[in-house]
Amino acid sequence: MTATLEYVRASRWYGPVIALNDVTTTVGPGVTGLLGPNGAGKSTFLKLAAGQLAPSQGEVRVLGRPAWGSPELFHRVGVCPEPDAFWEGLTGFQFLMALLRLTGFDDAECRRRAEQALEQVALTEARDRKIGGYSKGMRQRIKMAQSLAHDPQVLLLDEPLSGMDPVNRRRIVDLVKKLGREGRTVLVSSHILHEVEAMTRRVLLIHNGRILAEGDVREIRDLMDEHPHTVALRARDPRALARAVVGSTHVLSLTFGAEGEWVTVQTARPDEFYSSVVDAAVEAGVSEMYSPDENLESVFKYLVAR
Amino acid sequence: MSAIPAVPAAAPADGRDVSRPVPFLRAARAVFDLSLEGMVWSRRSLLMILLLGLPAPLALVFRTFITRLPPRVGAFDFYGVVIAFYYVRNALPLAALFYATALIADEVEGKTITYLLTRPIQRVSVLAGKFAAYLATTLALALPAVVLTFFLLTTIRGWTGVGALVPDLFRDMGVVVLTLVTYGAFFTLMGVLLRRPVIPGLLFLFVWELLANAPGYLPRFTITAYLRSLIHHRPPDEGLAEIFAQVLPTALCLEAVGGMIVVFLAAAAWIFSNREYVLDQ
Repeated sequence: MTATLEYVRASRWYGPVIALNDVTTTVGPGVTGLLGPNGAGKSTFLKLAAGQLAPSQGEVRVLGRPAWGSPELFHRVGVCPEPDAFWEGLTGFQFLMALLRLTGFDDAECRRRAEQALEQVALTEARDRKIGGYSKGMRQRIKMAQSLAHDPQVLLLDEPLSGMDPVNRRRIVDLVKKLGREGRTVLVSSHILHEVEAMTRRVLLIHNGRILAEGDVREIRDLMDEHPHTVALRARDPRALARAVVGSTHVLSLTFGAEGEWVTVQTARPDEFYSSVVDAAVEAGVSEMYSPDENLESVFKYLVAR
Repeated sequence: MSAIPAVPAAAPADGRDVSRPVPFLRAARAVFDLSLEGMVWSRRSLLMILLLGLPAPLALVFRTFITRLPPRVGAFDFYGVVIAFYYVRNALPLAALFYATALIADEVEGKTITYLLTRPIQRVSVLAGKFAAYLATTLALALPAVVLTFFLLTTIRGWTGVGALVPDLFRDMGVVVLTLVTYGAFFTLMGVLLRRPVIPGLLFLFVWELLANAPGYLPRFTITAYLRSLIHHRPPDEGLAEIFAQVLPTALCLEAVGGMIVVFLAAAAWIFSNREYVLDQ
């Protein structure tokens, strides 16, 4: 494998807190999942590669150059940050145009690329609406669009599926897989195994600032199957959603949230559940879906103890 | 080093030079365009329109009631007070404080800084574009108000003799520009240096800058002493200022102000270029 991202004995601490501890690893072309519970060091790992943080010790290189202090790298690197933050007064199209101009394209090329990126994330119809009026899923998608509009060789995606509804989740998963097949290096962070698994089989497991394991996701999957997977869904009609999924053999339990819009499902077979929920989700108007990471945490505890 | 060979950087088909950041001026222009709209249509600008535009309606009131004022209060004296005391000493430094400290702080607080720092541009061009947008916004608010106030006050008894005063207006406009640039540079530096720069900025303006009225060399450690010395028709000083206020030589003022602008902006650029922006998740 050739390396696009190289971490050589890289550490990073914030005051007395070690966020990343003596990490040596490489990431090559294709999709790689960066998997770990909240606070494991995933964002620090990505921010080091994105040149937003300097390593306290060691080296982080992207395409052979130091990630910190090499702005020219961003001609070929796209970053989808985790915070849900935008210049809210801009339309989706203006947002992309502004960032493409900052990448050095002329106006005609910016327009062409912005339109293409909007199409890739299915936001063409909403292009002239202000981002402040976008739904959570649309905001995630426009964030994704800005990271790939300049056709980068390397993509660093920090929790790109967070809060997305099932239909758009599928769309983004397909897009990430396609980008990986095209030979780009795509590093995707997530605390949800199923999300990562849907995109790739190659994972880096990170916990307490250390790379715990790297390799095939199936090994984790086997461990995971011993732990029920929890999914929370926010729906316009939660009862219709419950009716549609409750009979499935892979659903272990189902509870309604206190505010009435949320349904929490426990499943032993996340794959089957996510595949079967798409149609029901559309009918019940599911607008948000996430998975708490307690189950992943338990797998990590197991791996650490092993 | 890792023994694994690095992936070679692919040259893009569009012929861009990806081995270098986007040229400085081009990047600064793109940042300027992006920042300007956000600055113009902000709540801060509404406040600044009121602050910087206030002398114009006051001049109208003065025009209406001038016949009832004591004869020693002339329209041009009032204009002098507006320029020296209202604009140069208070309103413009306040405008600089509220805009310039926020140039980077707003992006950090809004967590949008990541978009700017993950583009192939030098950080100094981000600062330059934002500073230019700050200047364009504040000058667009301040200069028309100064011109309007000038003509409202100098034409009370007709247009005769106004032409002779116009050079003073141009000089005042120059001082307005210098005030916004100098304080803007200083507060930009404070904005990249401190996490919460507004209170220290207010203390600087309304405590430290009082040294301008102190005896000896102390006024030379302020910004306002140089700027007010550049105004031709300053109103008569009162209180301590009447005893101690010095008029510094114009050449010295221009050198000092120019030096401060260069030093403050260079320091701000250096700090911004080397600083990490760790956003709270």
